[in-house]
Amino acid sequence: MANNVTFDQRTPVDFAIIGSGSAGGIIAKELSTAGFNVVLFEQGPYRKAADFTHDEYSVLIQSELLGGGPEVSGQTFRHDESEVAKSPSFQPIRYAQTVGGSSVHFSANFWRLRPIDFKERSLLGPISGTNFADWPITYEELEPYYTKVEWEVGISGAPGPFDAPRSKPFPMPPLPIKSCGVLFEKGAKALGLHSQDQPHAILSQPFNGRAGCMKCGYCMYYGCEAGAKSSTLASMIPLAEASGHCEIRAESAVFRIETDSKGRASEVLYYDRDGNEQAQKVKAVIVSANGAESARLMLLSASERHPDGLANSSGFVGRNLMFNAHASANAVFEHQLNEYKGVQASRVLHDFYETDEKRGFYGGGGIDARSLWSATPIFHAWLGMPPDVPRWGKAFKDAFANNFTRQMTLACATTSLAMDRNNITLDPKNTDQWGRPAIRATYRDHDDDLSMAKFLQDRAMEILDAAGAQKAWADPIHPTNGGEHLLGTCRMGDDPASSVVDRYHRSHDVANLFICDGSSMVTSGRGQPTMTIMALAFRAAEHIKAAANAGEI
Amino acid sequence: MPASPDVSRRLFLKSSSAIASFSLLRVGAPALIAITQAACTAKQESAPFVTLGAAEAADFAAIAARIMPTTDTPGANEAGVIYFIDRALGAEMSSALEYLRAGLAQLNADTSRFADDDEDTQDQRLSKIEDGDFFNTMWMLTMFGFFSMSKHGGNKNNVAWDLIDFEGDHGAWEHPFGHYDAQYAKEKSNGE
Repeated sequence: MANNVTFDQRTPVDFAIIGSGSAGGIIAKELSTAGFNVVLFEQGPYRKAADFTHDEYSVLIQSELLGGGPEVSGQTFRHDESEVAKSPSFQPIRYAQTVGGSSVHFSANFWRLRPIDFKERSLLGPISGTNFADWPITYEELEPYYTKVEWEVGISGAPGPFDAPRSKPFPMPPLPIKSCGVLFEKGAKALGLHSQDQPHAILSQPFNGRAGCMKCGYCMYYGCEAGAKSSTLASMIPLAEASGHCEIRAESAVFRIETDSKGRASEVLYYDRDGNEQAQKVKAVIVSANGAESARLMLLSASERHPDGLANSSGFVGRNLMFNAHASANAVFEHQLNEYKGVQASRVLHDFYETDEKRGFYGGGGIDARSLWSATPIFHAWLGMPPDVPRWGKAFKDAFANNFTRQMTLACATTSLAMDRNNITLDPKNTDQWGRPAIRATYRDHDDDLSMAKFLQDRAMEILDAAGAQKAWADPIHPTNGGEHLLGTCRMGDDPASSVVDRYHRSHDVANLFICDGSSMVTSGRGQPTMTIMALAFRAAEHIKAAANAGEI
Repeated sequence: MPASPDVSRRLFLKSSSAIASFSLLRVGAPALIAITQAACTAKQESAPFVTLGAAEAADFAAIAARIMPTTDTPGANEAGVIYFIDRALGAEMSSALEYLRAGLAQLNADTSRFADDDEDTQDQRLSKIEDGDFFNTMWMLTMFGFFSMSKHGGNKNNVAWDLIDFEGDHGAWEHPFGHYDAQYAKEKSNGE
């Protein structure tokens, strides 16, 4: 049972954690169950499983879980610094504002990184115009925490031919293969490629007192009403609350971290649900607000002592934003697939994971078979129709009626290179609904990222053809206008001149300030970052606990 | 993911600038439920429209009916898309109301009311404006009204979902889900 503890604002709490998503939820659980008092801040509301619906219009169109569109967030986007960033019609930086963060609405495809991801710079050499670098940690150091994620958060899967070494098998079998997976496997096999089970942060069977997946089909962008999706809301936050040491302070939007005369974080300032300013005294702060929000908060917390933003003596806060580049290819088959049932993806292939110099560009990625825009009808109308079908009238209607249940997508996800030019800054004009300067994203994919996306898309088209598609088409590839994977903006590293946090997520500049989320990532991986964010969070929590117990915070 | 290779680009291209200010979140989810329940209660066959006048409602309904026409299967008319439009333009999409009224006035300027034309003429008139914001906004409202849950005012008796063989909001499913995974399961069990 949840123990609804509350902490006094004027008494410094052991830890304020800002953001209750993939990293924040885990760190809150780890610290609170170890006996530390924690206030877990979340700007969105505290929705529970029963609050989640299958309402495509409210969730997808009205951006219910995103906290509204750009007219609420004020977010702006541009491709280059020379442009004035504009507020588009669709949220460019997409993350859920709800307890559990984006782990609530993600599709839950769960890949580990591999050993090469951590040391690719050493293996391949520098890439000019980028901040391509090795991680300060290795796969071997992170592996126990990947295993911890699998066994504590709840991951379904089975080993594949190219997997990184693992110390323990998956705790439960993979989710069942869907028609898109069968066709993908057939096409891949014909081409000599190797499809494997897609690992998921979704329970294939009851686990740790939680129900297994009921295969309702509403994963991507939706919250799971069964609690089978392994969000931190379903897996970690109940344990944190049950500890009696964790207060979930929802609808509380942090706008500043104050530092004291010694330069230590001393207070978290936030707006409560009525928009009133509040303050919480703290002994230490952990920022896990995501790769856009964490960077913004550092920039918002500038002071005389930290003129360019908190923890930003390197100037690296907000830089090196990485979205993972994407491409997709779609196909219609003779018989019904009914991709609106079950999870998004059931098969993936990793034959193109590693950089191959013969391709002529950096990068690697994966291809998976999924519903994508054939999971729900409005999404299908918007993005799923073949390009040669009219947009309205009888031909549109007939194609829609035939294709909706007969269509699938191969989704290609790739690396993004870290660059100065891709970043999060404060918009000079716009504010969000709380009055905080809005997030401004500046982003243009590296040419190699787009080349890799195109390479994978070409392979995807070959696979669809080999699978016997009646009709297949590739969606055009362009520099992206936004993303959900928010990586790299407070990167970890040993050198305070070129990183924001150290290998244990402690900021180089402020001893009692830690940052752990997608922003910590030095490279992007191949396209499914949340598993790594969660593993980093378990690892960070262990070191933070040890440091706190040793009086070293 | 969610993948959205270039979802945002395509959404941006296909959506009108007028859409930029649509969001229900200022209203909030509980308010949404109240609004939609009220709309459902009000939606008797003969009930007057809540937001729109009868003539403009007839025109908007006629546009929706050409975008998603009635053929041997139900279209926008049978789904009651106009009731969705009427409700949404008085609630979460109210910022588009005047924009759409102006667009309709322009469409009807110096000619017959759209609803009074025959279908071929209507199609010709829409073809001329199909790349513009007014049409795009009407297109989106038609999709929303046709395909969203009937509690939002359209998709009456789930006719849109039946059309595409979509059992939405069903709850639990058992696999196999489709033809190919059923076949796969059969081959596996035969092979053993």
